[in-house]
Amino acid sequence: MALLEVKNLHATVQGREILKGIDLTINPGEVHAIMGPNGSGKSTLASVLAGRENYEVTNGSAIFNGKEILHMSPDERACEGLFLAFQYPVEIPGVSTSYFLKAAVNAIRKYRGEPELDAMDFLKLIKEKMKLLEMDQSFMNRSINEGFSGGEKKRNEIFQMTVLDPKLCILDETDSGLDIDALKIVSQGVNALRNSTRGILLVTHYQRLLNYIVPDFVHVLRDGKIIKSGDKSLALELEARGYGWLENAA
Amino acid sequence: MTQMAQVNNQRSDQARNSPVIGPDYGSRWLADFHQAAAAAFDRIGYPDADDEQWRFINLSPIRKTTFHPAVEPGHVPPQELAKLSLADRGFYELVFVDGMFSPAHSHTGDLADKIELCRFKDAAGKDAQRISPYLGQELSALSNGFAALNSAGFADGLFLNVPAGVAVGRPIHILWLTTRHSRPVVVFPRLSVNACDHAQATVLQTFASLDSDQPVLTNAAVEVVSGRESQLELITVEREASHAFHVTNQAVRVHTGARLQTLTFNSGALLVRNNLHVQLAEPFAQATINGLTISSGHQHVDNHTTLDHARENCPSHELYKSLLAGNAGGVFRGKILVRPDAQKTDSKQTSKTMLLSDDAVMNSQPQLEIYANDVKCTHGSTTGPIDDEQLFYLRSRGVSAVKARSLLTYAFAGDVLNRVLNPVTREFLSELTSDCLHRMHIDAVGS
Ligand SMILES: Nc1ncnc2c1ncn2[C@@H]1O[C@H](COP(=O)(O)OP(=O)(O)OP(=O)(O)O)[C@@H](O)[C@H]1O
Ligand SMILES: [Mg+2]
Repeated sequence: MALLEVKNLHATVQGREILKGIDLTINPGEVHAIMGPNGSGKSTLASVLAGRENYEVTNGSAIFNGKEILHMSPDERACEGLFLAFQYPVEIPGVSTSYFLKAAVNAIRKYRGEPELDAMDFLKLIKEKMKLLEMDQSFMNRSINEGFSGGEKKRNEIFQMTVLDPKLCILDETDSGLDIDALKIVSQGVNALRNSTRGILLVTHYQRLLNYIVPDFVHVLRDGKIIKSGDKSLALELEARGYGWLENAA
Repeated sequence: MTQMAQVNNQRSDQARNSPVIGPDYGSRWLADFHQAAAAAFDRIGYPDADDEQWRFINLSPIRKTTFHPAVEPGHVPPQELAKLSLADRGFYELVFVDGMFSPAHSHTGDLADKIELCRFKDAAGKDAQRISPYLGQELSALSNGFAALNSAGFADGLFLNVPAGVAVGRPIHILWLTTRHSRPVVVFPRLSVNACDHAQATVLQTFASLDSDQPVLTNAAVEVVSGRESQLELITVEREASHAFHVTNQAVRVHTGARLQTLTFNSGALLVRNNLHVQLAEPFAQATINGLTISSGHQHVDNHTTLDHARENCPSHELYKSLLAGNAGGVFRGKILVRPDAQKTDSKQTSKTMLLSDDAVMNSQPQLEIYANDVKCTHGSTTGPIDDEQLFYLRSRGVSAVKARSLLTYAFAGDVLNRVLNPVTREFLSELTSDCLHRMHIDAVGS
């Protein structure tokens, strides 16, 4: 069974159609990359899958783990195992990262019917993951993303992802804003999550990320539609030639 | 029957429109005090609808109801008192039931060894001389009908004198509890605090009432003097039941080098009006006045504050925050008065409101009156809904809508709570806030 099966997905924002019929199937263990020009709808696709409320789905379906998710609340989708690493993670002053993350971990565990983690177990879990992403422990006591640099915010997203252990990871331009070393560390973090059951959907503009996290499939999104799909060599071709040549192919 | 009950019976016979006159316990001075205030009320009456200071509050439910003074302290179920008591948290606790001090419910410990405590009921005896110089002194800054009614009608109350150089240590909790009655009742809580030079104290007042189908009017008056170099933290917690109308007039005078800090916390009652008047009466006095309001349903909370900078070199800082859900209404009027002598005034006022429903309304206005030329006064006001981006972020990680809203509203309130100086008080208020918010969000989801 496919992990995620998106069919003929249409979505509008403020009456304007942004997604114009997306078909995408991700099987367990696969890594998919989505590339495409600015404004083509990549973040919209990610947001619609995660359940952001200001997008209206006008047609189509998204079956995740055998369940239709388009009617679910964002928190329910997260509990089902979907994770979105944001392109622009928001700052939340006054809410500590550790308090929030513990609430998230336990909400998901409760949903799965697992016992909640106590303070000790939680601390153990996050210490281990922080080490993996070479993060400073002081991050946990700070308000969510408040005053974090662009790169720190992205790293914090991947850190949360590894703690929450999702079935499908959607990474929206996690590479942009990262320095070369941070890109390596973050990629290692993502690669550590690769296994035969998990799916990963990477949104990126740059082939460079795909050297570290090698995708099984690459798709080109343009004007709300996937106009070309291929293997990792497609990304190399896009890097060399841009998107112009696809105009004719489409 | 005691003399007290007789006096009260006389009072309730006095019928509708004339003010309630409180008992004098045989003290000529107290009788005169009540009478003078009653006469003042007869002159000024209730605030008019066209009175600028009272334009945003509808007093007609109060004016239409005939409130009777509580005749005798009613029954206090122990489990209700337990919910309100802070004695286990290490507070000294002074409990008033229906306006009368109740030693049986109080936990004064060694408080009387540290400070002077006089109840107004004892004013006939030796305490008259202690109390009389203070009573009514500060309140003259707030000459409205409610203040006059309180002065005319109070049956008991407290004078706290913190002697020079004394740091009380444990915070003092004064609980004003109104019990269940078979007809509308009015109570007149009255408190006078005198912090002498270099004294330090934290005083937390709770206004509470037992759930009832009869309306309650709590008309409180508080007078405070902060002596030189004193440090006084005054907290007011309004958590009366939904049948209550509440008015507090609080006037504070702050002397050289003193640091005054207040927090007015509102979560209860149907209609609340808080008048807070702080005068920085001498150079280098400091005041920080904060507010936190959590309202829902048809609650209406009106906070009027005045920071009166009378002399030079005084900083003042004001932060009022409101969280309004349902059809709640909020008003904030913050007046900064800088008198001609108040050069080098440094005053900052901020009002922030989070609206949790489309039907909640906030009306926030600063009012600056500046008569000195070398001053720094800033003010800012923001009103807006909960941030959708933040909400989505939290929910996208699995946190439920109720929990996410609790986290964000708590963070909003936390900004005020973090400023509370006394740690035990801060911890209590933090817990109270999260309880209030949790209940509010659960209600919102249920409806
Ligand atoms: N909330 C919104 N309100 C109005 N327009 C929106 C909203 N969200 C997205 N859009 C519009 O939808 C289109 C697609 O935006 P989207 O963010 O999905 O693009 P993208 O492919 O992620 O671009 P980029 O590569 O720049 O991140 C854009 O034209 C954008 O302006
Ligand atoms: Mg984008």
